Amino acid sequence: MKRYDLIIVGAGPSGLSAAVEAAKRGLNVVVFDENEKPGGQLFKQIHKFFGSKEHRAKVRGFVIGQQLLDEADKAGVNVVLNATVIGLYQDKEVVVKIGDEIHHYKGDAVIIATGAAENMVTFPGWTLPGVIGAGAAQTMMNLHGVLPGKKVLMLGSGNVGLVVSFQLIQCGCEVVALVDAAPRVGGYGVHAAKVARTGVPFYLSHTIVKAEGDTEVTGVTIAEVDSNFRFIPGTEKHFDVDTICLAVGLSPMSQLLKMAGCKMEDNPKRGGQVPICDEYGRTSLPGVFVAGDVSGIEEASSAMIEGRMAGITAAEYLGYIEEKEMDDSLKELDKALDGLRQGMFAPKNRGKAIETTEEGIPISQNLLKKGYVADDEIERFPGVTHRPGVHPVMECTQNIPCNPCQDACPKGCISIGSNITSLPIVVDNSQCINCGMCVASCSGQAIFLVDEDCGDGTATVTIPYEFLPLPEAGTKGAGLGRNGKKICDAEVVSVKSSKAYDKTNLLTMRVPKEYAMKARFFKAE
Amino acid sequence: MSNTAEVVVIGGGIIGCSISYYLAKKGVSVICLEGSDHFGNGGSSRNGGGVRQSGRDPRELPLVMYGIKNFWPTLSDELEVDCEYHQDGNLRLGKTDKHKQILTGLTERAVKVGLDVKMIDGDEVRRINPYLSDEVTCASWCPTDGHANPLTTTLGYYKMARRLGVHFISGEEVIELKKVKGKLRKVVCASGDVYEGETVVLAAGYESRAIAATVGIDIPMQKAMLEALVTEAQPHMFDQMLGTAEADFYGHQTKHGSFVFGGSSGLEGYTKDNGTPICYSKTAPCICRGIMKYFPDLANAKIVRTWAGWMDRCADGVPVLGNVSEVPGLVLACGFSGHGFGIAPGASQQLAELITTGKTDVDLSALRYDRFKAKI
Amino acid sequence: MNSVNDRTRDIGPFVPGPDDDMLICRCEEVTKGEIRKAVHDGMWTITEIRRYLRTGMGLCQGQTCSKLVKGIVARELGVSPAELEPATSRVPMRPIEMHVFANEAKEDEANE
Repeated sequence: MKRYDLIIVGAGPSGLSAAVEAAKRGLNVVVFDENEKPGGQLFKQIHKFFGSKEHRAKVRGFVIGQQLLDEADKAGVNVVLNATVIGLYQDKEVVVKIGDEIHHYKGDAVIIATGAAENMVTFPGWTLPGVIGAGAAQTMMNLHGVLPGKKVLMLGSGNVGLVVSFQLIQCGCEVVALVDAAPRVGGYGVHAAKVARTGVPFYLSHTIVKAEGDTEVTGVTIAEVDSNFRFIPGTEKHFDVDTICLAVGLSPMSQLLKMAGCKMEDNPKRGGQVPICDEYGRTSLPGVFVAGDVSGIEEASSAMIEGRMAGITAAEYLGYIEEKEMDDSLKELDKALDGLRQGMFAPKNRGKAIETTEEGIPISQNLLKKGYVADDEIERFPGVTHRPGVHPVMECTQNIPCNPCQDACPKGCISIGSNITSLPIVVDNSQCINCGMCVASCSGQAIFLVDEDCGDGTATVTIPYEFLPLPEAGTKGAGLGRNGKKICDAEVVSVKSSKAYDKTNLLTMRVPKEYAMKARFFKAE
Repeated sequence: MSNTAEVVVIGGGIIGCSISYYLAKKGVSVICLEGSDHFGNGGSSRNGGGVRQSGRDPRELPLVMYGIKNFWPTLSDELEVDCEYHQDGNLRLGKTDKHKQILTGLTERAVKVGLDVKMIDGDEVRRINPYLSDEVTCASWCPTDGHANPLTTTLGYYKMARRLGVHFISGEEVIELKKVKGKLRKVVCASGDVYEGETVVLAAGYESRAIAATVGIDIPMQKAMLEALVTEAQPHMFDQMLGTAEADFYGHQTKHGSFVFGGSSGLEGYTKDNGTPICYSKTAPCICRGIMKYFPDLANAKIVRTWAGWMDRCADGVPVLGNVSEVPGLVLACGFSGHGFGIAPGASQQLAELITTGKTDVDLSALRYDRFKAKI
Repeated sequence: MNSVNDRTRDIGPFVPGPDDDMLICRCEEVTKGEIRKAVHDGMWTITEIRRYLRTGMGLCQGQTCSKLVKGIVARELGVSPAELEPATSRVPMRPIEMHVFANEAKEDEANE
């Protein structure tokens, strides 16, 4: 039987990262993936990632996917696609379907990096065509170029629900509502805010009563729920939609581990049934490791670090490196992973209602309940200041591990400091040169360049703009508030695109000066 | 709940559940202990579903014939569950002269015991089942054989017995039997719980051997792993139960449309496991190749699941049933040797008769524990 | 060691619900009401439910419904879903045609 040093199942962010680290250390590595393309979910991620430089922050997911593939190629990793692993048997035997044959392989070590699958919820009509997972919608849009629907209701306000809602709008769909049974938005506030300001209403403490339609979805009714998640009569709201997107969490695809006899546990904090493993992915079966979502739902950035850890640990297990070398490498990665697991959304804070930021500022309740920071709340955050001339306004109001803005400004106007989760501040006496790098670098699209008083009764507001078609200078339209409602007239002054902005366009609009701190989106009329 | 009942049944598979059911129906109080977390977790939910008389040893044949005559036809109504019982015959297929010889021998022995079974040629086989390949040249044909759904039947017995008041406990692994004043009385579990009964029925598959050993009884049986697989639902093709002379596969099409096939790789008895019955990577492909030689039309059917299970293979291939004179109060119901499903209703009902009246309609003497003798 | 589970524990009567006819396992077309009734018939583990009703035995192998079934059974038993062991995972991870499963590659160097 053909034997490899290391067999990796899954060519997503964690599997590829593991492969790179192991191959660099001399292991003979093969990666099997059932898809026709590698990269797992990375190639569906068209948004910029959070984190710091070491986490490849502000780089778009699909670009990270390509970078990983290049690294794997350089390291000599053999990635076999359209290769479905159908079983993990005893003695670390991996059986793979390739074409119309099955192949038996053995690995001295095996890393399972199979990722996760979407959860479903039930309501009358949930089996109608038109009810789809948010991940499925993303696959249709971003991999296959197919529009999932025209009018969409999104259920779930976690990062997946928020990010996919934004992408649906980018594709030209109308997102009629973003609904969540929870009383608070689950995902990053900045993701919510960029959806809300385009005009999508948020319905927290609401859920779906029923999907309507005989042969396909034609509408949906939602209603408010009480603290026990029971519907409150009389609160029903109807929407005409052709698509209902469900973004209600992920479950680890850990079946291969279970069938192989790994010790498993049911851990709701990790998203369901996961193998019992240590922090570097060692399972109860000697030589079988795990990395990424299969061992607990997080996101791609941490999956990549976990993958690297598992790859290095496997290298030591097989004697390709000494224990000391492993420990040194892992120490570095521990730090990187720890950096990602900080802030309000850290795994340790899951389910906790956090009331104030690390700086002691009360969290915006509007942001949690409606998806946007209210005008009377925004002033209390340190990134929001007033000064003459153009200056950055950073509407970053929650502690998340992310700091590209601090490096983006060539003039050092923005500071986060050594604590990666701190809210950004505008550095005193620094001089903004209106270059726009901060706006384009903010993965949360939360930085605006504002000139509050142009001297003629108007103000200019520069916003990140990732929609097509791009309006031309002179286009007249509406200035929308953070809530997505029209608050004033606006005219496009300029739309700048540049390679350095990495496809985030900078739209500058002129608005009456009293709306300088209120207008945050432009809609052509 | 009381830890004492008239009868304590050890084992919650189809034998344990059905004995509990037939005892409870007679008004006997029963405690039924299952060692794993699930009722019907061993061979009862892993077998190919055959309800078959042909191909059986003459010593157990009367018991299965009794069950097919008296219980199987009405079992769905009785258990209020669809047992999916089909009595549409069993074809045991052969391709070679050697196969024909094996089948003829089996057939002659069964006819002597009064079973309606005969040898037929390849053309007649294909008149009964037109999907069989031309390679099939002969078969034994028993029109009163059939098949059923082992999962719903086993759990149906469990459900009805529970409804009749049987005290079922899972996760209660029995580790020791204890005599009191010369008579078996106590059943000790790994949890520390102790149960007591006038009669103790041992129906725990292969595990029965270790449990019986605690009162000095050794049942000569081995544990062997068998494997099976199931396809996705297919259009209805045929209703017969199938087997082959060399037992390379056996199975049927279920009511659901899927095909359930058991089979072997030839390594049975020498396999290892990791504490649970885990499939061998070579077996399912081997079963698939076996099936396709007989049913070329199934080549594109998708396999949805494969699984393995242990059987309790007795030294002479038939079960050990009834009282043990050395240990008054002990009733054995184990060693079914991989064909305990079809025989379960008859065997269990007769053992319930034995426990309550001391008599049975079918003579069980050839299946007693004291039958094992050296060969010379 | 397995945990002792006395199947005579009182879980209350079966009370029909308004959404009992809702499909939960799409592959095998099993409804919420069937699952709830099965619990009251004594099927207290996910494995027993699966064997009794076929939930999660279809083409998707329970990928879609297993969490849903678990939630329903847990609620009926009055326990936390995390207490219920999921059903065993079985080869093949994805359905595979018989002729492919049968077709084992020769000692292969194809993917060197």
